[in-house]
Amino acid sequence: MPSISELKQELKKLNAEYAKIKDVPAAERADFGKQLNIKKQNLMQQIADAEAAAEVANVEALDITAPCDINGAQPEFLTADFGSKHPLMTELDRVIGIYQSMGFDIMESRQLDDEFHMFDSLNFAKGHPARDGYDTFRTEEGFIPPAHTSTMQHRVLKANKYKLDAGKSIAVAVPGRVYRNEDVDATHEHTFYQCEGVYVSKDCTLGNMLAILREFFEKYYGQKLNIKTQPGYFPFTEPSLEFLIEKPKSLGGKGDGWLEMLGCGMIHPNVLKMAGIDPTEYQGFAWGGGIDRLVMLRYGLGDVRNFEAAKLDFLKEFTC
Amino acid sequence: MLISLNWLKSGLETDAISDDELVKLIGARLVEVEGVIDETHKYDGIYVVEVKYCEKIPDTHLSLCKIDDNGVAKDVERDENGYVQVMCGAPNVHVGMFAAWIAPGAIVPATYHDAEPFKIGMRRMLKKYDSYGMMAGADELDFGDDHSGIVEINPNYAHAGKTLSETFGNLSDKILDIENKSLTHRPDTFGILGFRREVAGILGQEYKSEKWYLNPEQEFDNDPKIKLDIEIDEKLCPRYTAIVFDAKLENKKPYLDYESTLLARSGMRPVSPIVDATNIAMLAFGQPLHAFDYDKFVAVGGSKTPKIIVRAAKEGEKLELLDGNIVELNTDDIVITSNDVPVALAGAMGGANTAIDENTKRVILESATFSLYNLRKTQMAHGIFSEAITRFTKGQPAGQTKAVALRFANVTSRYLTPLALFDSQKEEPTPEQVTVSLAQINNLLGTDFDINEVCQILENVEFDTEVDGNKIIVDVPFWRTDIHIAEDIIEEVGRLSGFDNITPVLPLHATSDPNPLFQLKTHIRDHLAAHGANEVLTYSFVHGDLLTKVGQKPENSYKIVNSISPELQYIRQSIVPSLLDKSYANVRAGHAKFALFEMNQVYPRTLGFDNDNVPQNAYQLGFVYIDGAVKSNYYTAKKYLESLLSTLGVNYSIEAFEANDENAYYEPKRSAAIKSHDKVIGYLGEIKASILRGFKLATGTAAFELDLHEVLRFAEGATHKDFRVSQYPSVSRDVTLSVPLDTPYVELEQQLRKVLQNKELIFKLACTSIYQAEGATTKNVSFHIEFADPEKTLEKAEIQAIMKKLESIK
Repeated sequence: MPSISELKQELKKLNAEYAKIKDVPAAERADFGKQLNIKKQNLMQQIADAEAAAEVANVEALDITAPCDINGAQPEFLTADFGSKHPLMTELDRVIGIYQSMGFDIMESRQLDDEFHMFDSLNFAKGHPARDGYDTFRTEEGFIPPAHTSTMQHRVLKANKYKLDAGKSIAVAVPGRVYRNEDVDATHEHTFYQCEGVYVSKDCTLGNMLAILREFFEKYYGQKLNIKTQPGYFPFTEPSLEFLIEKPKSLGGKGDGWLEMLGCGMIHPNVLKMAGIDPTEYQGFAWGGGIDRLVMLRYGLGDVRNFEAAKLDFLKEFTC
Repeated sequence: MLISLNWLKSGLETDAISDDELVKLIGARLVEVEGVIDETHKYDGIYVVEVKYCEKIPDTHLSLCKIDDNGVAKDVERDENGYVQVMCGAPNVHVGMFAAWIAPGAIVPATYHDAEPFKIGMRRMLKKYDSYGMMAGADELDFGDDHSGIVEINPNYAHAGKTLSETFGNLSDKILDIENKSLTHRPDTFGILGFRREVAGILGQEYKSEKWYLNPEQEFDNDPKIKLDIEIDEKLCPRYTAIVFDAKLENKKPYLDYESTLLARSGMRPVSPIVDATNIAMLAFGQPLHAFDYDKFVAVGGSKTPKIIVRAAKEGEKLELLDGNIVELNTDDIVITSNDVPVALAGAMGGANTAIDENTKRVILESATFSLYNLRKTQMAHGIFSEAITRFTKGQPAGQTKAVALRFANVTSRYLTPLALFDSQKEEPTPEQVTVSLAQINNLLGTDFDINEVCQILENVEFDTEVDGNKIIVDVPFWRTDIHIAEDIIEEVGRLSGFDNITPVLPLHATSDPNPLFQLKTHIRDHLAAHGANEVLTYSFVHGDLLTKVGQKPENSYKIVNSISPELQYIRQSIVPSLLDKSYANVRAGHAKFALFEMNQVYPRTLGFDNDNVPQNAYQLGFVYIDGAVKSNYYTAKKYLESLLSTLGVNYSIEAFEANDENAYYEPKRSAAIKSHDKVIGYLGEIKASILRGFKLATGTAAFELDLHEVLRFAEGATHKDFRVSQYPSVSRDVTLSVPLDTPYVELEQQLRKVLQNKELIFKLACTSIYQAEGATTKNVSFHIEFADPEKTLEKAEIQAIMKKLESIK
């Protein structure tokens, strides 16, 4: 194999060839030039490959077990005030903490799932237009980066059924990253976070659900709150509701505005049945809401795009 | 969906409730109202006037008109008859017509919602004619796009001086903007009639559908000369009703009518009398209709007996639609055919071959329902999102096709004479029955209803109920295609009576165990951030170029088929490449030295599937350290890694690097595998120089990654063995070992430790420097060591013996 310097020598010669173009008959010029270009590209690629190989060969090994480089300074940590936790993760920790204090187990949602968990197990009829409302991404194999944390409901129910058999209730909160195929702007992200709640027992009611949700938001905002609902539609709950809270004082609320926080409802009997839970014996409720919005509201942020941008200028606003 | 509040309220008792309260109740008990478009004053100052005098001004398009407004307008000059002078450029202006006059000071309705609405005044035209206000065209009145002339109002009910609003049954209106999404399962509410029934129920009023709707006439005196057979596939088309009419079609309505104002207030545009009539029926009943030219239909089908066949389209079958587009159909599409020759793409659009035109003598009106599943696919495949298909994809009830067709015949009798009715369904089906117990209702909702209250709530919206002890047997009306089980009825009871009237009651708390992975993540987050690192989140989706750039194989990533952009086409295999990708922007923003980390799931294809047969994931911590001023950042990254693992109590070792498909970005000669209990739990190293150049990052940039499930498995928690303190004096010494260059540091440290451990000493040990003199073949590794005996004070001789052992290590 020729050395790098030999190759470079050859390239020099080739470059000189270009001067001869003017002597070539006009009809053959284009072809002549083309041939030269091919040769040159070929040669330049060889040089690049040889240089890359040389670079690899010349890499000096280091002592992977040492605490510092030979003749090098001892490494140091960055100063603590450089450091920051992602506000979404901090908020998620707070949310999880509150749910745990209310007796909920925590189980993180998957980030790649299938049609069965995303739709079928949630009582979406096959091919039903309601599936379109979720703007899901799909992989070549038909897997789905889930569009809601409800994709975990079936697993939560199956995995915790033993608790019902032991006379206990199921109470699980499921935070996770979800995806929707929509264009990104200041208030829309294709990637965002949700937290799901699932509660099943022999005798829990819609009134219990409203109380649990109210308790969560009262703990979260540290004040008593008025709540209201709107009818909603989710194939996996019946009845289905949208849950709203009055705008908390910490967010500038003066008892006038309402914030839509999440969708909720009593778990559809078919969803329980599919998870092997007898709907004539047990009933439950579930809900799901966005985390990003909680953070936006708390810090008065205007642009959701900052969350996934990994920009230090933004993150350093959240130094610990 | 836009709904005129006036239209909605007609037939309901709403005097006792303000519009605002009504809208609130609709929001709380039926559907989210996204907004209310206030058009209360949109038609203020607009009057019906009679044109009394009209004279063309030569060589202009203008006419000088005098109008009779019955003296209602203020601040206008009037002639001796009390008429007002208005110039008019419309070709159709003529004496004796009734027109809509926008009086001076009033706003042109089409500009009502503009930032600066256009207010009409007095204008002087052609430098000498005063013109007060204007006579308006349909476009100016916001009743459509017609700009061909001014609107004419039917003299049968036009009165000079009456407001336009009053003339058309109150145009002072509010338009509700309804969020359709939560009505996906409620086809009945996509017509004003169904929506109104719900509002009655919400208000606690009994709604009664008219007889023509509930029990359409069964007998129809068909003209025997009209032949039409119907053949359907019930799976694709549950019901098909058709009426054949004799038609005297008009291109345009002679007069502005109430229906045009309704269309405009419902977000639609008037087109022609027959199209408007189908659209009004759709808005009123949620039932889309379509009209074919009967004679063209018969001709297309050939010489046989005319027959409508509804069937699945054949793959590749072509059809030219009304809008001139030729679509290639697939087997999910449903076609209406005339003896098997397609004449319409069902639910979506009619075919050009049977379009109605000025020569149409007879019309077939189609009132049918189709499989919402198929139409959903049609919608997607052909990109047709009309008002009609939006309704069809909710699954319109088969029970109303005939009633709506007959109603249509009723209101179009001016230009359509029904000849014959054909219906694929001979009898109305018996309603579905659902049984629910009072206990079920109260137990699920947490309420205390008595049985009569429940029945009344349901009867208000036309469910028939029958009480049998504690059970209620409910007859589901045909339009409630969404009601099948007891829970569906329970929802109706809770919703119509107001979920907000249910008292929230806390159940007993369950007990929970903390989630170890979340605890671990919180610990890592706190630890790294406290040491100056920055937690980030980056997308799970990456560009294929990013994968190849870091030496990963795109075929090892799951690929998104409907990605927003190439940037987001592959699901990532590890975190570090995303961090490298985001680093340069921060360097450019002036951050010279920083550390980024992220903890997230990754899905390299190489992991295979889990028990649910979905892709297995790994939970990964990725970390990069950037400092362009230093030749190598390996040791800083290592310091972060080691401090983290030791605070977690993971027993680990730094071992030779092993390259695989996912970690190809590490420089093998300057990287390590991190092992615990003989298992690789992560990698640490500098990134290959060639890759760093691609990211515009400095050579020597280092990273590490850890599998958090493995970390969790081996984390024993911080132990207290390091905090043992001897009661006896400790000895502080420096030791320098001179060893060959290639002696791994860790061997020296282990030997030192062994010596001290063998003596059962309590000790601390730290490397202070590694030095190589220029040209030397050895390196000097210096340690600072403190040790003490837990039982006694060490004697001088003992110390010397220990030091001798330590210093003899090589």
